[in-house]
Amino acid sequence: MTEERVISANKPNEKSDHKKRNFIRLNFNERVQHMIFLICFIILALTGFMIKLPEDIVSKFGEAKTVVFYYRGILHRIAGVTMILVSLYHVFYLLFKPAGRRWLVDMLPKLKDLHDMLGTMLYYVRLREKPPEYDRFYYKQKMEYGALIAGATLMSVTGLLLWTEQMWPKFILDIAIIVHGMEAILACLAIMVWHMYEVHLKPRKFPIDNLWITGVIDEEEMMEEFPLHYKKIMADPDLQKIFVQQEKEEVRRPRRIFARGSQ
Amino acid sequence: MRFYGLMIVKSCMLAAILVMLHTGVTYAQGDVLPDTENCLLCHRYPNMGRYDKAGNKKIYYVNEKMFAKSVHGKLRCKSCHAGLDEIPHTNVKKVDCSSKCHIKEPSTGKEFSHENMVKKYQRSVHGADSATNPKKHPEDLPTCKYCHDNPMYRPPRDIWGKSEALSNETLARCMGCHTASQWAERFYAHFTHRMRKRRSQTEVVRLCTSCHEDQEKMARHGLESIETYKDTYHWIQVEYGVENAPDCFSCHVPLGYSAHDIRPRTDRISPINMTNRVKTCSNLGGMQSCHPGATKEFATGRVHAYGMKAQLMAAKNNKNFREEQDVTLVVERAEKDFSPEEVFHYKILKLLRLFYKLLIASIISFMLVHQVLDYMASRRHHKSH
Repeated sequence: MTEERVISANKPNEKSDHKKRNFIRLNFNERVQHMIFLICFIILALTGFMIKLPEDIVSKFGEAKTVVFYYRGILHRIAGVTMILVSLYHVFYLLFKPAGRRWLVDMLPKLKDLHDMLGTMLYYVRLREKPPEYDRFYYKQKMEYGALIAGATLMSVTGLLLWTEQMWPKFILDIAIIVHGMEAILACLAIMVWHMYEVHLKPRKFPIDNLWITGVIDEEEMMEEFPLHYKKIMADPDLQKIFVQQEKEEVRRPRRIFARGSQ
Repeated sequence: MRFYGLMIVKSCMLAAILVMLHTGVTYAQGDVLPDTENCLLCHRYPNMGRYDKAGNKKIYYVNEKMFAKSVHGKLRCKSCHAGLDEIPHTNVKKVDCSSKCHIKEPSTGKEFSHENMVKKYQRSVHGADSATNPKKHPEDLPTCKYCHDNPMYRPPRDIWGKSEALSNETLARCMGCHTASQWAERFYAHFTHRMRKRRSQTEVVRLCTSCHEDQEKMARHGLESIETYKDTYHWIQVEYGVENAPDCFSCHVPLGYSAHDIRPRTDRISPINMTNRVKTCSNLGGMQSCHPGATKEFATGRVHAYGMKAQLMAAKNNKNFREEQDVTLVVERAEKDFSPEEVFHYKILKLLRLFYKLLIASIISFMLVHQVLDYMASRRHHKSH
């Protein structure tokens, strides 16, 4: 097993000899958006939850705690503003760019998602042989995306309220404090439980799915995970231009950074 | 009894004379006030003390040098401890800080006294003046000594060593004329002490919470305990040692107020009375302008009092809740204190918090179950391939 791992890591081009196609899941623009959002999210979570630290941990900072607190506040605001800007850009992207509009249309919840969800549940409890065939985004991704939009909106609004505190009644601020804190817990837990599993711990993805850097998945994975979308692409040459990666790019961006075990 | 007392005194005297012969030189040096009342004859022995009837240890030892360095180092013992004429001291009175202490205040030449402060204090929320301020449990109230612990062991250097403005350089200018180090230790320390906070923010919070976090004690006086302060961003700043972070004094004793004159919030003088709130929150002209643009709506909210009182008001009709705890006084005060609007706000906030707890619990548990099922299914799937 270990030997195989090493061998496959040393010969990354072995598979590409078969002229395997890669499918674009995230284009460059979307990857940059994701990257900025990700960095902001981590900074915001760290600097935000710092004020919830118990007293004895805070005292361990010693003399440095005042400096830490000062930069904590500034970093939280910088990251917050950046996140708001990225979110606003994302709205612009959804409405005014062709790729964004396609994203929006594919992301809208449909009746099929409900069917898919039921089907998947049945498949999980072995009442069904195969999982349902997913389109470009399936119900779980749509839920995550919806939660992200709702969460980012709430966090931005309450964050701005707290930033301009002296303009608002205390009652509004009390609500903002609760919403900002609770929403943060919810978002972090959701990211940890769902998103981290999806990209890190899922059996085929461990230790990390490189999709967020390369933006592509290979044909095998595409067929397995999004079969309906795969069929649509293969039937439509226009879609192929958009979603199938060109040969040149493949050489430049290797599919996997980390070696993966034999499948 | 008298006989034994005399015996002890005599033996003490003998011992004292012997020791005095040995250390007599130090008395002549001048930094220590000569013991003309001869109290140290006995009180200089470190082992002097007893257990009172309640079992508390009482120490009667006086370290002369340390006493000389304390704020009252220039006073005679009898200035404060009135009525020490008999031995053993059976007719001793409790120390009264409002008495005149036979030290002349240099600008007026009159005898100095803390009387002004004591009078003010007795009228304040913490005072126990029976005429103006009757209290059901006067034994709970803090005495002068509760806050003024008279730090005998705090070296005077500490006072001017910390701040640039009060640096050794300034002191050096004074020392040009006032050559005796005694002057620096007494007057310079006395003045500069008023230029900085007596306690750090954390120490202030610790001092106030030492009583105000005691739920039982507070309920006896119809007050709620204030651990809710530690939920505020004010406390987090204090916790992280931010400069000028808002401690208890920042709002309850802001610029122009005295800690000895804290009034109830219903009093129009009180800084947390609704009419003075905007001024208190903005704190313009203070060490730090906290919320310079504070509006009335912002300033009139509850800062950390959405605790027990609000809970009681919300559960007003629930008789069981009242019977469980002796909180009748708190309820009485809360009824005067809380407007129906504020109770409504409290209920909304409580519901919101509950809603979020349920939301988080349900969403995250759904996600967890989903993930576990997904994990099992994908393992199954990969095994079969």
